[in-house]
Amino acid sequence: MSYHCPVCNKVSKSALDLARHMIGRGDKVHRDWISSKGFKYSELLTLQFKSFGGEGFKALAGVLEKETKVKD
Amino acid sequence: MKKELKFKVNGQPYDIYVKPKTLLVEVLRDHLGLTGTKRGCNSSSCGACTVMLNGMAVKSCSMLALQANGADIMTVEGLAKGNKLHPLQEAFLDHGSYQCGFCTSGMLMALRALLEENPKPTKEQIKEGIDGNICRCTGYNSIIRAVTAVVKGEYKEAK
Amino acid sequence: MSKYSVIGTRVHRVDGPEKVTGSAKYTFDLVLPGMLYGKVLRSPYPHAKILKIDARKAKRLVGVKAVITGKDTIGRKQGIWRRFPELCDEEILCREKVRYIGDPVAAVAAIDEDTAEEALDLIDVEYEPLPAVFDPLEAIKEDAPQIHDGVELNININRHIEWGDVDEAFEKCDHIREDQYKCCPQAHVCMETHDAVVSYDYGGKMTVWTSTQSSYYIQRLMADMTGLREGDIRVIKPPTGGGFGSKFELDSAQFPAAILSMKLCKPIKIVLSREEEFTATKRRTPMYYYLKLGAKKDGTLLAKEARVITEGGAYTAMGATALYLTGFFSSFPYKYPNYRYDGYRAYTNTAPTSAMRGFGAPQSTFVGESQLDMMAEDLGIDPIEIRRKNGMTPNYEVPGQAFIQSCGLHQCLDKIETHIKERGKLPPNHGIGVSAYGFMSGGIFNWFDTPYAFSAAVVRINVDGKVDLFTGACDIGQGSDTTLSMICAEELGVKLEDIRIHAADTGICPPDLGAWGSRETLMNGNAVKRAAADCKRQLLEVAAAKMAPNIVYDFDIKDCWVHLVDRPERGVSYYDIVKEAIRGRDGNAIMGRGYYTPHRKGMISPAYSFGVQVAEVEVDPETGRYKLINVTTAHESGTVINPVGIEGQLEGAIMMAGGYGFCEDQPMDEGKILNPSIADYKLIRSLDMPETEILEIDTYEPEGPFGAKEAGEGLTNPTAGAIGNAVYKAVGVRINDLPITPEKVLRALKEKQKKSK
Repeated sequence: MSYHCPVCNKVSKSALDLARHMIGRGDKVHRDWISSKGFKYSELLTLQFKSFGGEGFKALAGVLEKETKVKD
Repeated sequence: MKKELKFKVNGQPYDIYVKPKTLLVEVLRDHLGLTGTKRGCNSSSCGACTVMLNGMAVKSCSMLALQANGADIMTVEGLAKGNKLHPLQEAFLDHGSYQCGFCTSGMLMALRALLEENPKPTKEQIKEGIDGNICRCTGYNSIIRAVTAVVKGEYKEAK
Repeated sequence: MSKYSVIGTRVHRVDGPEKVTGSAKYTFDLVLPGMLYGKVLRSPYPHAKILKIDARKAKRLVGVKAVITGKDTIGRKQGIWRRFPELCDEEILCREKVRYIGDPVAAVAAIDEDTAEEALDLIDVEYEPLPAVFDPLEAIKEDAPQIHDGVELNININRHIEWGDVDEAFEKCDHIREDQYKCCPQAHVCMETHDAVVSYDYGGKMTVWTSTQSSYYIQRLMADMTGLREGDIRVIKPPTGGGFGSKFELDSAQFPAAILSMKLCKPIKIVLSREEEFTATKRRTPMYYYLKLGAKKDGTLLAKEARVITEGGAYTAMGATALYLTGFFSSFPYKYPNYRYDGYRAYTNTAPTSAMRGFGAPQSTFVGESQLDMMAEDLGIDPIEIRRKNGMTPNYEVPGQAFIQSCGLHQCLDKIETHIKERGKLPPNHGIGVSAYGFMSGGIFNWFDTPYAFSAAVVRINVDGKVDLFTGACDIGQGSDTTLSMICAEELGVKLEDIRIHAADTGICPPDLGAWGSRETLMNGNAVKRAAADCKRQLLEVAAAKMAPNIVYDFDIKDCWVHLVDRPERGVSYYDIVKEAIRGRDGNAIMGRGYYTPHRKGMISPAYSFGVQVAEVEVDPETGRYKLINVTTAHESGTVINPVGIEGQLEGAIMMAGGYGFCEDQPMDEGKILNPSIADYKLIRSLDMPETEILEIDTYEPEGPFGAKEAGEGLTNPTAGAIGNAVYKAVGVRINDLPITPEKVLRALKEKQKKSK
């Protein structure tokens, strides 16, 4: 199973990892995609520093799990 | 309206005219060209401007020049005798008690004044003596080692 | 018996006599004929549009010669990350907008400082204040005011480092810790404030005297910002009263002085006041730190995850480097099989945060060493033991990032362990805290986009054997003039007194990137050694011709004696060979060239130094106050070139790094720094300074000149962590945000008491 970034096609082996990539890239195109799914980028980013357990990634990973999973 | 200022600096008598609000450090540096004394702050807190006035350490940025009328001032330029360095200066060289050197003049004068008042200070008294002088480079301990060596008599004063 | 004649000996610094007699002339002391004095007008608002500047009244004041604003410049933006134009975001003299309290908007040249100061009050600036944001977590919100055009969410830069698979590794851990920290800003507090004298002459050439860590950087940046050719600008560094990371960027003393001088063709002197120094120069980067650490129950560290957001302030400056290095050094000095770092820098309407001695590593070492001690306690493992189990070793590769050649970390741990044992049982409320670090010897990444070798030197031998050493290296107090002279003397085989160094004058010295990232000894030392070796080779050719020994013999020079290495009694005086060499070359002086740029040395640095430090504190549980009793450091920095220098750097680093943990801070209110004076900015004075002890470990770094590597910046890394760990050991409270003040300790003690009831 692999996960392809809907913006730049980078391949990750898990939704969580892909979420990290997208939040980490932080450029406009990735942020816009994230916003289009109803998230506020700043909130996801802030969760990185204010929460334990990677909440910000998990929230986005949930969406990515559904939308970007590709069978190898 | 300038007023007359008569004083001695490093043994040399001066008779000059200064504006009333001129600070002592300004007269020394800008009027007499004795730039060894530095300025590091505007709040009389760093000690870089320390000189000796009538044998006591003073922060020359915290007093008006005219307050020094009739006084005997020593600046760092007055420490060495000709080309023979003062024991404190020799000790500083040996112990590496300076790095950027900007606080060094004030530090030496504070120490000179300390030894004038108390020729055999303890380590704690030396620390108190330079508590008004900030050094951002050395961490003070090499300075204290240098002074301790002078106090122990490891350096001879030039005649 | 040392195999070296000069290096490793205890010498007076070459600039010693002038410094202890007050005869060293700093930029601060410089007076030129016809010189005018400049002052800078700065924004009182953290964020505002500049609508109008009316300087007519100021210009009419008797004694004022010129008033300039951003409109008098060529309108470029600059930054030290020249390779990335989007990070060159600072105009210095603002044209449309101000972004922090203290951002310059105008400058005046007058016959004296008082007149210039008076003129500032007569400049009318009409601002339109804009909403401002001060905290990075607020700045990244969608509704936060945008500080720079085109930078949405004020996210200036992000950096990521990763190897292995931390998520998988955390699954395998027996114990995981997650902790959050806040690292405060810090002011450099150089004793000499930022200053410059700039003289632009009628021939179109500019000379700049300035207190700087890199005369080459100032030359290049000044050329970028004035439109002059680099070669038409000469930057001279007089004795400089401290830098510590604050003085290698183009600043608001140099640039306005340059523009004023170009307008008037007169020398202009600008000296920043201490208040300007605190509010309008750059400072240590404050960081929010999140760490997750996973280990097996035997103490083997399996994974570490670090996330950082930094308060960038109004401009990028060197913030990008601090962001990267804090993430890189978060992995030091341990072998993590799995590691991940995500760092973000947000613009805020505060004074820009940039480089300060340690460059992000004091922050990462504080948080990392604090957490590691907690992990050790959780697992029931001794703090030295957990560090020993995971510590880096020689010839270790940080996966994909760096190759560590020499590393004496384990010897340092052994020495410190012995020291702690010898200290024995501690009195009540005393604690000893450990902290380990590793640090770079200069950076590899060419963010400045220089075409030159990173370091270069020229050596010239006069007919009397006296040597002139020309190098761009900048002595800012750390002693590079002395260290490089020692390297030159050792390589050439002469005495230290035979060397005269001419440094940091771009008009006569080859370029050097400057004194930052702890690079001078290794990088410039290599250049100097090569230049001296070039001269030596020329002399040895003459000696070989003169003495004509069997071809199997080698020559060398030691103590001014040119001799056969295997038969040292067979030789000739260096002074005689010099004369013959010059005559033999048609009268040409003997000159040697050397340069150094690290190639294929990983991503970060060609070499790393390591150390372990312990701090002993005594806490008064009634008040939370604590005393720094002793700081002992075992460290290794390869071959010690200048022992007096290294001791000085170590003790000085403890004062600065200790201050970071103990008392230094810049509280702010709506972007205004509340303690911009030496009276109010607490730092360690003589009475607070602990006893210091140095335990030197012998190592040899193949990449460095005679085996030397950095010392002086790495030593600012461990102290805050050692203090934090010591306070915890003393009274059982852990403070996770710097500085560790008595108020915080007391509050934590009271909480602890409440919880235990």
